[in-house]
Amino acid sequence: MPADELGRKIIFVLLGLAIATAVFILVARWGKMRKEERPPVVQEVPGETRTITVYYGSRDAANLVEETREITSSGRLEDEVGEAVNALLEKPQDDALVSAIPPGTRIERVYWVEDEETLYLDFNRALTANHPGGSVSEYFTIKVILKTVSANFPQVAMVQLLVSGYPVETIAGHYGVSEPLDVRKWR
Amino acid sequence: MSFYSRNMPGFVFSALFMVLLAAPGLELMAQDKDEPEAVLGVVFSEGRRTVDVDLSRADDKSSEFYITAYDLARIFKATKYWKPGARKLVLRIGSKDYLFTIDTRVVVVNGEPVLMRVPARYVDGAVMIPLEFVGGVLSRESAERIELDGDNLVLTIGTPEYNVTGLRFEKVNGRTSAVLTLTDELLYHVDTDTPGLLRLKIYGGRLNTLKMSAVDGKGLFRRVRAEQTEYDAYLFFQVEQSASGFRVEFTDPEEGDHEQNLVIYLEKGELPEIPDADFAGRKMVEIFEPGSMAERGFEIEKIMIDPGHGGTDGGRVSSSGVQEKDINLDIARELKGMLVERLGVEVLMTREDDQFLTLTERGEIANIEEADIFISIHCNGWFHPEAGGFETYFLAPARTEEERRQAREENSAVELEDAEMDPEKLEELDFIIWDMVQNEFIAESSELAETVQKELAEVLTIRNRGVKQAGFKVLRGINMPAILIEVAFLSNRSEEKLLQDQSFQSSVCAGIVEAVRKFSSGKIAADAGAPGTGY
Ligand SMILES: [Zn+2]
Repeated sequence: MPADELGRKIIFVLLGLAIATAVFILVARWGKMRKEERPPVVQEVPGETRTITVYYGSRDAANLVEETREITSSGRLEDEVGEAVNALLEKPQDDALVSAIPPGTRIERVYWVEDEETLYLDFNRALTANHPGGSVSEYFTIKVILKTVSANFPQVAMVQLLVSGYPVETIAGHYGVSEPLDVRKWR
Repeated sequence: MSFYSRNMPGFVFSALFMVLLAAPGLELMAQDKDEPEAVLGVVFSEGRRTVDVDLSRADDKSSEFYITAYDLARIFKATKYWKPGARKLVLRIGSKDYLFTIDTRVVVVNGEPVLMRVPARYVDGAVMIPLEFVGGVLSRESAERIELDGDNLVLTIGTPEYNVTGLRFEKVNGRTSAVLTLTDELLYHVDTDTPGLLRLKIYGGRLNTLKMSAVDGKGLFRRVRAEQTEYDAYLFFQVEQSASGFRVEFTDPEEGDHEQNLVIYLEKGELPEIPDADFAGRKMVEIFEPGSMAERGFEIEKIMIDPGHGGTDGGRVSSSGVQEKDINLDIARELKGMLVERLGVEVLMTREDDQFLTLTERGEIANIEEADIFISIHCNGWFHPEAGGFETYFLAPARTEEERRQAREENSAVELEDAEMDPEKLEELDFIIWDMVQNEFIAESSELAETVQKELAEVLTIRNRGVKQAGFKVLRGINMPAILIEVAFLSNRSEEKLLQDQSFQSSVCAGIVEAVRKFSSGKIAADAGAPGTGY
């Protein structure tokens, strides 16, 4: 066997091993990534928690899709509604979905008037100022809020949306929201 | 030098392949431990989407599956209370409490102990509940319908709120009718564009597609297929070619009956006596051959175009700074010119320039001018650039028929009792009158919307999102058929370009003009929003 041919063979072997190692590392990393994608087994948290349903829009603005969230169960409606609405503002777990609340929106206060079965949700100005506009997005913004309320808090009959403490005529120029909205109509 | 140009000793390849094979193999083996032992498919019949939940076994030999308390709480929207010291977990599902104690087979339901085949477990920080609990105890105790198919691992939950509840066929004296049971008098639209096919769209309809499609036809009805979209229900009736005409109407419900019957009569030969009007004043007579369609006798002489937004209300602003109000005005101006030129009608606009108008003012202008139809022009927007297409809206009834009836009854009582009504009651009465004005035009508005959507589909290549009903404030209190067109999405890059494109704008206008011509002449075009292509 000539020396240069042996050298070439050694190069082949080394090359082969290098490729194999690279593939191994890639596969290992891919495997690890796959594992991380799977939701981890959730450990029980001591105390009382409740599972609620929150709603998002599909990326093509065609469907309303739900996800579940675990919140602290305080038994106080205002606090639980606040947590539920906050979940709506966050990114959904599913990448194929989008939040239907304008970026930068915060819920400032929640008031519950039991006699009128009416919930007052006071948002910051971003709800109207940062709204992307268009009928579909305005519809979904109102719908995800009302549906989240009606799905989890059956005692609520009406929802009055407020911006910085006051009612507004409209969020994006198509639907009227100056009066309390009937949750049954937005189910 | 090519890699394969020389002979290489076999062992080098073998070694290489072994390393290549072993690498992913090892990884897969490691992964196997994390893979679920089984997956439970959860189907929610009231429209929540189906979810998959991982199951595990207590040990390799056991045939009993376990589900985590976390997943159970998620599926049944439960409140959960975990007391680690006492190793006790309470799940509140519906109005009942289920108390589990780790490593015991007892589950206490509202104070009553019940025995399971295997105990609840605590593994890696998670409470594991035997799956048999769901199919057994929970399914018995729950007010909700719960069905566990243990062989196929499918869990079905809930009784859905359908409002289209039944379908049957009747054949009397050579006349065939399809009788649909509805819980409410919903608005519908019939399309017979495809020969041999009658398509019924029920706005806001919710039905069980499996149950409805399983019904066999009778007489002139050959087959039926049902579809459900996010907003509406569709029924496709395959009919015999010998059917010469059809009639659709609500029959009067019997005393004390809360269900409504929507009946489709198929006719061979001559049509029977036709009632003057049915729901919302719409005559429901149509003939299969398009040539023989009845003339509407509804002439359009004056059209009010409403360019959406304006002034301080810019509407949607695209990422590159294009404002919806400006595009709306551009399209409205061209539409006005084209309507005048091609149809010779009078056309007015709620705003001619960049002016702010409230939503109520727009309708008032149209009412004062006594226009025949009202068309509002808008551009859509969404939270993700992917969304696109055109859609047409008409006003949804503000109340259901049942609610209206109740309110009317309550108010007539008030009227008789009090000469001086308190303002709240007066407002309520106002609302009802105003509501009835709206309803008078709902059927025509839906027809105009369907016609516009269909004509736009002829000239545009972007996605057809269908016709929708909405509770728009801008369309309220308008004393004429009124629609709102969302031409395309400014939040979509390519559609944003189209919206600024002269030829695209002209196509949109041409489509609307053609629709108005057809609507006006009474040759009613059929529904454009096909399920599947629509939502
Ligand atoms: Zn708009």
